[in-house]
Amino acid sequence: MTLPLSLGPLAAEGFVIRRSGIHWLCEDGHLCRPNEVIGYCNISLERTSGQRAGQFPMADELELQVAFAPAIAGRLQIGSGHSPGGYLSVFGLQDWNSDDVVARLDPSPDPLTDSLADAGAAQTGCGRLRLLLLAGRRMSGLADVDYGLLPGWHSRSRAWWGDQAGPLSTLLCIGICDAAGIVRGNEIPFVEAFEASAAPVQLVYVPDHPVVPCAPILLEQLERTQAERQAIAADLAAGLGSGRTPASADDWLFAGALLSSLERSPMLEGYDVLTPTGLRRMGPPDAVLLSLSAEVQSVLRHKKLGYSLQMLRHRQASAGPAVKAWLNSAFEPVKRNVDDIRRDYRRLIEALAAKTGARVLILNRMSTSGYEDILSYAPFDAPMRETLEHVAAKEMNLMLHDLACDCDFSIVDVDAIAAELGGTDHLPDGIHHSGEMQSVLRSEIIRVLNHERSGREIPIS
Amino acid sequence: MLHDLRLPKINPNMTSAVVECTYGSPGTLLRLGDKLFDLSVDLSSGFSQYCPPISYFRVVAREKLWLRKILVSPGDSCEVGDLLALLSTEQDEPIEMAPARALRITTAGIAHHQGLWSASNAG
Repeated sequence: MTLPLSLGPLAAEGFVIRRSGIHWLCEDGHLCRPNEVIGYCNISLERTSGQRAGQFPMADELELQVAFAPAIAGRLQIGSGHSPGGYLSVFGLQDWNSDDVVARLDPSPDPLTDSLADAGAAQTGCGRLRLLLLAGRRMSGLADVDYGLLPGWHSRSRAWWGDQAGPLSTLLCIGICDAAGIVRGNEIPFVEAFEASAAPVQLVYVPDHPVVPCAPILLEQLERTQAERQAIAADLAAGLGSGRTPASADDWLFAGALLSSLERSPMLEGYDVLTPTGLRRMGPPDAVLLSLSAEVQSVLRHKKLGYSLQMLRHRQASAGPAVKAWLNSAFEPVKRNVDDIRRDYRRLIEALAAKTGARVLILNRMSTSGYEDILSYAPFDAPMRETLEHVAAKEMNLMLHDLACDCDFSIVDVDAIAAELGGTDHLPDGIHHSGEMQSVLRSEIIRVLNHERSGREIPIS
Repeated sequence: MLHDLRLPKINPNMTSAVVECTYGSPGTLLRLGDKLFDLSVDLSSGFSQYCPPISYFRVVAREKLWLRKILVSPGDSCEVGDLLALLSTEQDEPIEMAPARALRITTAGIAHHQGLWSASNAG
């Protein structure tokens, strides 16, 4: 049996969906796994005739793409004629037609896959492709790259399976590297997470550049007024324009990205999603994933406007001389101890619950290291948490545990999972996970979300 | 008796480290627990386009010896096995002979601090 793989339905009332040529991510003859992304196209919305001009949905998401995945395993047959090549394969020149057959699949011959193939064919309509929708909001309209899945520089990117019939929930990731790898992955954006899970969830990723997503900064984003945003922008412009340190291109680029981070709260934003039956407007995220590792021991406080700011060291290095001079003169460092961080978390979690009802999940920290052989603490300066990484991590994990006793959020236990898998192989620097560890953590997050949704324990899928 | 301290392979994935701090002066008697070096280990070998997997470690002496010579300075990049320091059991014994064995040390992951070479010289 050879299954024709058709695009399947996708709709947006009042709009025609246009698509580009098909870009394949694998060769003809490739043996596909179920839900493996094998190709994609760009899409765009075009207002149908007779519709009044107005705001386009997803107008700020200049990257809008559909990736394809077979529902079952099998060997792929790619025919010719699905892409004219060159720029004509980039632009949305063709109408989206659900019956378009873009490839064929020879289901894998083993009995197990045969039965799955039959079931899949029946469920999806003769091998209809699963559609993974991807949308990216560029940090700047200039940051365009016209090849690949979610290419370029995005202030927010997201993905969701386009064939989910029921309600879709949203998980927003605003952590640092430890969270980003779990949600966005390290290969093709989002595909590792979606290949592994059939959960009805939209994943949203907001990067940690240039601003560290630590609790006081996120809380201020959540509560900042328009007047305060304008004051921040004016102060930054005055700082760079003072002429004391001439601003370079790096300064202006950095300042633009900085303002972009400070001017909006990703925790309050809603989403348009394309589905087989039409456009759907979704509210703010149902759940927010944070990193305990983002809770730095010191933040910068603006001397005049009072807002908080902090950047990871390698991000600060991207700033030009004028931004560095402005950071040095306009801000003062404020140290944070464990109690400060506990207070900041509590305020953020309670404010978020009041504003949107979103649940918070926090990745804790790996707190042991196989690279240490401490016999005595005498050589290390007190307080130990400011000197020894593993002591700091243990105190922070303990704080998180204590906070969870009377504050409503969930801990994703990176510390325990790393210890089970082996930190040397799976978390060699304490922050960057192996693929296997990311996979286990994804499952753990889905389990936590399911548990919270249903109020009962659900096995890891 | 002469002892040497070479850059240890603290992390199995590391090939080198940057000397961030040196403690102690040649000619002083090290006590058990005295700090010797702070090091940074970058598992991306300094390729900093992405978040660099950098860890910081402190090397501490685990025996009482005379610190005779420090062969590196803050900012120096060293490969695993490179000689960092020479130590001896006697204050004035010659240091030209072959070391009898390696200095016994403790290593521990430390937090970034303002005394590190990279705190004021990187970026």
